[in-house]
Amino acid sequence: MPRTSSGPEPVLEMTGIDKAFPGVQALDGAQLSILPGEVHGLVGENGAGKSTIIKILAGVYERDAGSILIGGSPLEDLTSQAVHELGVRFVHQELHLVPHLTVAESVFMGHELSRSGLLRRREMRRRAERFLSERLGAELDGEALIRDLGSAERKLVQVARALVDEGARLVVFDEPTAPLASGEIDRVFAAVERLRDQGVACLYVSHYLAEITRLCDRVTVFRNGTDVGSLAQLDEHSHREMIRLMVGRELGQLFPERSSEPGEVVLAASGLGDDGAFSEVDLEVRRGEIVGVAGILGSGREELIDALAGLRRIRSGRLELVGRRARLRSPADALDRGLALVPRDRRNDGLVLAMSAADNVNLATLSEIARTGWILRDAADQQARRMVDQLDIRPAAVDRPARLFSGGNQQKMVLARWLAADVDVLLFDEPTVGVDIGAKAEIYQRMAEVAERGAGLLVASNDTSELLGICDRIIVMVRGRIAGVVQRGEVELDALIALVTGGDAAGDAVGAGRHAEDAAEIGEQDR
Amino acid sequence: MSTATRGGAERAATLLPVLRRVLLTRGPLLLFAALLLYLSLASSAFLSMANLLSSLTQAAPIAIVSFGLAAVVMGGGDDVVAGGIDLSIPAAAALATAVVSDQLTNQGAGVIWAFTLAVLAALIVGALNVLLVTVVGLTSILSTLAMYATVVGVIRVYTGNRRITVDDPTMLFIRDARPLGIPMPVWVMFAAALAFWLLLHRSAFGMRLQAVGGNQEAAATSGIRPRPYIAASFLIAGVAAAVAALALVARGSGSSPGIDERLLVDMVLATFVGAAFSRRNIVTVPGAMLGAILVALMSNGLILIRVDNSWIDGFKGVLILIVVAAAALQNRRRT
Repeated sequence: MPRTSSGPEPVLEMTGIDKAFPGVQALDGAQLSILPGEVHGLVGENGAGKSTIIKILAGVYERDAGSILIGGSPLEDLTSQAVHELGVRFVHQELHLVPHLTVAESVFMGHELSRSGLLRRREMRRRAERFLSERLGAELDGEALIRDLGSAERKLVQVARALVDEGARLVVFDEPTAPLASGEIDRVFAAVERLRDQGVACLYVSHYLAEITRLCDRVTVFRNGTDVGSLAQLDEHSHREMIRLMVGRELGQLFPERSSEPGEVVLAASGLGDDGAFSEVDLEVRRGEIVGVAGILGSGREELIDALAGLRRIRSGRLELVGRRARLRSPADALDRGLALVPRDRRNDGLVLAMSAADNVNLATLSEIARTGWILRDAADQQARRMVDQLDIRPAAVDRPARLFSGGNQQKMVLARWLAADVDVLLFDEPTVGVDIGAKAEIYQRMAEVAERGAGLLVASNDTSELLGICDRIIVMVRGRIAGVVQRGEVELDALIALVTGGDAAGDAVGAGRHAEDAAEIGEQDR
Repeated sequence: MSTATRGGAERAATLLPVLRRVLLTRGPLLLFAALLLYLSLASSAFLSMANLLSSLTQAAPIAIVSFGLAAVVMGGGDDVVAGGIDLSIPAAAALATAVVSDQLTNQGAGVIWAFTLAVLAALIVGALNVLLVTVVGLTSILSTLAMYATVVGVIRVYTGNRRITVDDPTMLFIRDARPLGIPMPVWVMFAAALAFWLLLHRSAFGMRLQAVGGNQEAAATSGIRPRPYIAASFLIAGVAAAVAALALVARGSGSSPGIDERLLVDMVLATFVGAAFSRRNIVTVPGAMLGAILVALMSNGLILIRVDNSWIDGFKGVLILIVVAAAALQNRRRT
C-alpha cells in the first residue's frame, strides 16, 4: 500500500548509511524505510549492498555513518541483542537446522523451555505445533525429525524459530525461496502473507523479481551501495522499472572483440540431470565458441558446471566430448577426455598456493616434461616461462610461490596450466570474481584468445553483464532447468536479467521486435 | 507374463533401497543379535543368571566411560574425522583408578578424599583436551589420541607399572553388595545412566549441545555460542572417567596396569553400536548403555566357548570397523 509521509511511523528507518571495506565503498548514503504491516522488497544486483545493509542491521558489521531508528527510537550502539529486543528477527538464507532434531526441538533451539533444569518437552511440542499452525498455516508434527521434512517445511520451521518467542515487529527474509522447488514456494508465501495480516512487517530480499511483484507492497532498489528508487503498487509493469533501476550502468570497454568461426562440436549434452539440482539440460559448445551459463544461486548453474567437470554425478542424459560419449567419475576422467575446469575458488581449488608459479603451471602436463618419472628441470622451466610470457603473468617470476601473486594473476596461472595441457573444452566458474577491473579486462582477453585457438569455452557466472559481454550464446537456468537461450546481440541486459530472475515479463522481452535496436546499441558499446 | 516380471522388478527396485537402509542403520545390531543367538546356542552357561549378572557388572565401567564419549560426540558432531571424539577417557579412568587405589592403600586417605583427588585428576585431563581442541584448534581425534598416550605414560611412572591392591571396606562393599540381587557396580551404572540421560537428553544444556554438534552455524544463529558447550562436553567426559573409576576399583579390587587398553576398544564399540538403538540413529546415553551390555555379553560369551583371548581383541576391532563404516556410508547417502 502506498502511504504518504504523514502516514504511520516506520518500523525501521535507516538513513545515510555508509560502510567501506578495504578497496570498496559497499554502502554510500543508503536509505531504507519500512512501514508497519507491509511486505517490503529489497532488490539489486550482486554487490549492490543489499546483504551489507542487512548485516549492519543484524549487528554483524558496524556502520561507518548513518542513523538507524527502530520503532522511532534511535540506536547508537547496534548489537544483535538490542535489535532482537526491539523486535527484529532474521530468517537466514541457509537452512540452519540439525537433521536429527525434532520440529519442536528445532523451533525452540536457543530459547528452550525448562522447569527446574528439565526440558518441558510436551509444552515445547504443543507450542511449536500451535505456532506453526496458527501463525504460519503449517500443520506439522512436533515430534517429526527435520530430516524427514520437505524443504518448504524446513523453511517454515526456521521461520517459526525466529518468531516463536513473540514480540516480532519486523522479520527480515533473506532469499527465503532460494533452496525451494517451485511447487513449495506457495507455502512460504502463504506464511509471509499471514504474518503481514497479523501486523508484522516483513523485509523481503530476493533475486526473483516475479516473487517481489507478487508478494510485496513496496520495493526499494539498490545499486552501487545506495538506494536508487522505490516503487509502490507493484504490477507487471514494475518489472521493467525495477530492472532499469538495478542496471543503470553502461557496458564499457571491458570486453574484447570476438570474431572466431565456430568449428566442430566439442561438448554436447542432452537431457542431462543430477539428483535434483538440475534436469533436462541440453547444450552444445563448438570449437572457437564461448557459451555462457546464467542463473542466480540455487538455479542449478554451479551444480551443472561441477557435473560437467566430473565433480558431481550425472544421473540421467547423455554427455559427449569431442564426438565420443563420456561418463565422468572424477576431474581426472574429464581431463583425459580433454575437458578442464577453472574453478570459482581458485585459491582453494585451483592452485597449490605453497608451490611455485612454474610448478602450478606445469601440474597438468608433468608427463610431457618428465622422462621415466623424473621431471626434466629445463623442459619444465621452459614451458613455465613460455606460458607466463603468453599470459603476461606478473611478476614474471616463475619461482615465486603462487600465494604471492594477485587474484587476477593467480587466475591467469590456472588458465596457463590448461593452455599448456592443450584441452578441447574449458569450463569457467565465476572467472573474475574478486579480481579488479583491469585484471578482468585482461582475463576476458585471454579467454577470447583461448577460444580463437580452437578450444570451446563454457562460462558460468553470476554477473550477467559479464556473460553478455563475452559470450556468443547464453543459456539461462531457472530452478534447475533451461529457461531460455539467447544469442549474442539479441538481447539487452535488462531482458537477460528478467529471464535470469524468472520474471514473467521475460518472455515478452526476449525476441520482441522493439529490442532489436537496443541490441544493436549493445553491440556498439562492446567496441 | 511380461507384466508379472515388470511388477517383480519394480518391487525389487523399491525393496532394495529399503533393505540397504535397514542394513546400514540397524546392521550392526543384527550382527550382534546373530552373534548372541549363536553364543546362547553354543554354550549352555551363556544364558545363566550368573553369567548375565557378571556381564552386567563388566558392562558397568564400559557404559560409564561411553556416557562421557557420548557427550563429546554429541557436542562435536558425529563426523568420524572432523567431529568430536575423546579417546583419552579410558586413560583418564585408569588414572583416576590409580589415584584412588594409591590414596586408599599407600597414603591411608579416606574414600571421600581419594575420590576428590581422582575427580580432579580426570578433570585435568579433560581441561587439557579443552585447551587443545577449542583453543589450539586441533582435531579431537588426534589430540585425544596423543592425550591417551601421555596419560598412560603418567600412570606407569606414578604406579611404577605395578598393581595396587585395595582392601578398603567401602570398596569391598561396592564390589560384593547385591541390593535386590543385583551387584552394586550395576546400580552405579544405572544411576550414572539416569544422571547423564537427564543432563544430555532432557535439559536445555543437552539440547544446545546437540544443536552445536549437529550444525554449528544453526546453533550460532540461534544465539548459542558453540565453544563453551564443546568445552563442557570434554569436562563431562572427565567426570565420567572418574565415576567409571569407582566401578573399575571395585571390579579389580584395585588398580592394575593395562586396564585402559581393553576399555578403549570396548568404549568405542559400545558407543557407536549404541547409535543403532536410537530412532534418530545418533549416539545417545541409553544407546551407549545397551551397547556396553552387548559388548560385555559378547566378550563373556566368546570366553565361555573358549575362544582364545588373543582373537577377541582383533574381533572387536573388526566390529568397530564395520559399525563405523556403516555409519560413514549412511552419512554419505544423506548428503
